[in-house]
Amino acid sequence: MDQLNFTGKHKTVLIGFMILGLVCMGLTFAFDDELHTRFWSNYLHNSVFFTGIAFISVFVLAAFITALAGWHVIFKRVWEAYAQFLLVGLGLMLLVIIGIWGHFHHLYHWADKEAVAADPILSGKSSFLNPVWYTLGTILILGTWAFFAWKLRQLSLDEDKNGTADFDHHRRMRIWAAAFLPIAGFTSAAMVWQWVMSVDAHWYSTLFAWYTTASWFLSAVSLTILTLVFLKSQGYLEKVTFDHLHDLGKYMFAFSIFWTYLWFSQYMLIWYGNVGEETVYYRHRLDHYPVLFYGNLLLNFVAPFFILMRNDNKRKYGTLVFTSVIVFFGHWWDFFQMIKPGVRITAMEALAHHASGHGEHAEHATEAAHHAVDFAMGFSIPGLLEIGTMLGFLALFLYFVLNRMSKVPFTAKNDPYWEETTHHVVEIHDVEQVLGHH
Amino acid sequence: MSAVVSPIRDPLIEGSKTYHQITEDICAPTERTPSVAWIIAFIIAASGLAFYVFCVGWTIWKGIGSWNLNRTIGWGWDITNFVWWVGIGHAGTLISAILLLFRQKWRTGVNRAAEAMTIFAVICAGQFPLIHMGRLWLGFFIFPYPNTRGPLWVNFNSPLLWDVFAISTYFTVSLLFWYTGLVPDFATVRDRAKGFRRKVYNFLSFGWTGSAKHWQRWESLSLVLAGLATPLVLSVHTIVSFDFATSVIPGWHTTIFPPYFVAGAIFSGFAMVQTLMVMTRKVFNLEQYITLEHIESMNKVILLTGTIVGVAYLTELFIAWYSGYIYEQFAFANRVLGPYWWSYVGMMSCNVLSPQIFWWKKFRRSIFITFFMSIFVNIGMWFERFVIIATTLARDYLPTSWSYYVPTWVEIGLFIGTLGLFFTCYLIFARVAPVVAIAEVKAILKAAGDQYIGPKARQKHAAEKTEVH
Repeated sequence: MDQLNFTGKHKTVLIGFMILGLVCMGLTFAFDDELHTRFWSNYLHNSVFFTGIAFISVFVLAAFITALAGWHVIFKRVWEAYAQFLLVGLGLMLLVIIGIWGHFHHLYHWADKEAVAADPILSGKSSFLNPVWYTLGTILILGTWAFFAWKLRQLSLDEDKNGTADFDHHRRMRIWAAAFLPIAGFTSAAMVWQWVMSVDAHWYSTLFAWYTTASWFLSAVSLTILTLVFLKSQGYLEKVTFDHLHDLGKYMFAFSIFWTYLWFSQYMLIWYGNVGEETVYYRHRLDHYPVLFYGNLLLNFVAPFFILMRNDNKRKYGTLVFTSVIVFFGHWWDFFQMIKPGVRITAMEALAHHASGHGEHAEHATEAAHHAVDFAMGFSIPGLLEIGTMLGFLALFLYFVLNRMSKVPFTAKNDPYWEETTHHVVEIHDVEQVLGHH
Repeated sequence: MSAVVSPIRDPLIEGSKTYHQITEDICAPTERTPSVAWIIAFIIAASGLAFYVFCVGWTIWKGIGSWNLNRTIGWGWDITNFVWWVGIGHAGTLISAILLLFRQKWRTGVNRAAEAMTIFAVICAGQFPLIHMGRLWLGFFIFPYPNTRGPLWVNFNSPLLWDVFAISTYFTVSLLFWYTGLVPDFATVRDRAKGFRRKVYNFLSFGWTGSAKHWQRWESLSLVLAGLATPLVLSVHTIVSFDFATSVIPGWHTTIFPPYFVAGAIFSGFAMVQTLMVMTRKVFNLEQYITLEHIESMNKVILLTGTIVGVAYLTELFIAWYSGYIYEQFAFANRVLGPYWWSYVGMMSCNVLSPQIFWWKKFRRSIFITFFMSIFVNIGMWFERFVIIATTLARDYLPTSWSYYVPTWVEIGLFIGTLGLFFTCYLIFARVAPVVAIAEVKAILKAAGDQYIGPKARQKHAAEKTEVH
């Protein structure tokens, strides 16, 4: 079984979840405030999250090719398929863009011309934070990523058919992969600033782009583990062993610590510096979103750190799946806490302005908006509608990805590392453990 | 260890070595009388060290007034040198610990010398925080212990104190890691030695016999130390970055500092490893162990980390503008266009632009280019610290206190002196200890020796096949 048979049953389940997602989004839209803040913020949150997973997939492929890694080749078709979702991601982000131009939503404070004109900070940033750049940046950058994703996959598939003994395809992949790395390094930061950081349009942090990218990375790794385990349970990828999963588990463990390191660096420096322009970001979250704030650390640090610390836990299906689910959900949660509070404040201010007209009253209304942040389902914590929406997006992602996967064989038979990856063994230094497993 | 090796991988040990030849080749430099080149190098390095001692004496005798620091620029060459040396001290543990965890086989050719370099670089770094206190005899004030000084107790809220802990921990673990690796190799040297030398190496190798139990414990200890060292690599330069980033000085207070300092440290560390390796492999005839493949891999790391640092520089510039905070904007405008513009140019061209030539394989494998680039990067990374420290301080909030700083001969002498200290240590190390990890190279011979993998091995294999038929 070298080719995925993407059958009716699986399609039906995924389509079912997509319908559930649509229903949830419809319900959110129907029972929303007049700016449809909850609906649009859910839409942005999931679009950014899943597009980021696709971006990380092509980034990791490029990084591994450049670093002469061989162990992952056995399942590289999974990442090649993930990466193709970038085109869908472009489509998803286009709707956000249309929303900006058509004033259908109030996701971004900087998109409100009146607010920018009245606000020196926002007008100072307006040569970067404006609809034109957002549109051009998103289309050009996502387009570039999608092109590299297509190119690397196309070369990889062509290698199957026309691969030669001198590994010419691989050499060409190396060139494309290496070229992508600096492009990805610079452009991902620009995208994160526009898509996510500019939700809190006044706030800034130099570390933010790397922090967000680390979050994407963990989402991609955890979803990869889940996909591999699913495919194995269906009888595919027999040669993917505990050794491959163990290495993915190590990545999940190490990068969870890395993510925490970045979280801590950003938080601690802002806390220590105690500059009001910066601390407002955390003050707001600590005061009004404590569940999001602390939940983030529990899900993304405490859980993976303690569960994955032991070697053998990275070699058990159950534990690995359990942790992957936590980490995947945890980073979805992380994006939720990055996006929701900022969008909500923007919307509250806009609503207050609508209600009180302009001038003096509006100022007070803005002040009031900052203080009156009550508990609201879908903002203070993700509600059932958010979970449903996420499942819908996940189903869309998986449907697209599995469909891509089903078109091609899993075996990259002419890849120069094929023999390495099919004989991959993780060195374990603990003698008892080795004895216990073999 | 996975025995299957991709045909695309190049060998890491050349010259169809046998296990015995490996022992012979690597032990040889410790067993012959020093060459003229070594003696000349040692004299130069030791003179530098002597000059260092003189400058330290001068500083202590005359006081910090013999430096050109002033009220505005309170940190100049001293802390620049400190951060520079600490950064260099990162590559060793990165190579030994992180590359061990990643199972990168190429680490075995260079890990020993890189770890030694780490230790010597940290020793050099550790000098500066002590000297720059001025009253060196009060240096013990930095240690938290019950005392009668009343309120003169260490400030646990200060990153400067965390630095003391971070660097001493890092030094200890790096030293243990390095020495653990040396134990079986010292035993190898001992087994070939006679007389008093044999006694010395027997002592150094803790009576290692090479029994299975010894190896098992040695493996466990190496892995534990690698696990401990990995977070330490990150923590040391992270905390060094906190020295600046916890302040509210525009240009210092920025959240990207921790990971960006770490990337820069690895960058400069690898550059120093290249400087040393290019010379060591030539002088000691170790080209078949520290191959072009190793040089190329390290050049790739230099390209990668140099570009990461470049992303960080541009991020800082961009966010300074984006922040809308005028002091932040000024700090960066001053960095690029202010009186110290030349150091910004030096930093950018040496750290970000020039490593880009390593996109070409030809340059990555050129010894000449590698050597010059490694010096370039060392210069660039020194400039980076100078830019961050002196340029930022020179133009503070109050224009009446703006200043310009030029070091005195004492400050320059201290820097050159630590180079003397560093090279003296390294030259002694290279004479008394195997500069390549013998046991570890032997462990990868069958997976990376050129008689087993690579084009030569394939030809041999094909020839044997035809003979049989």
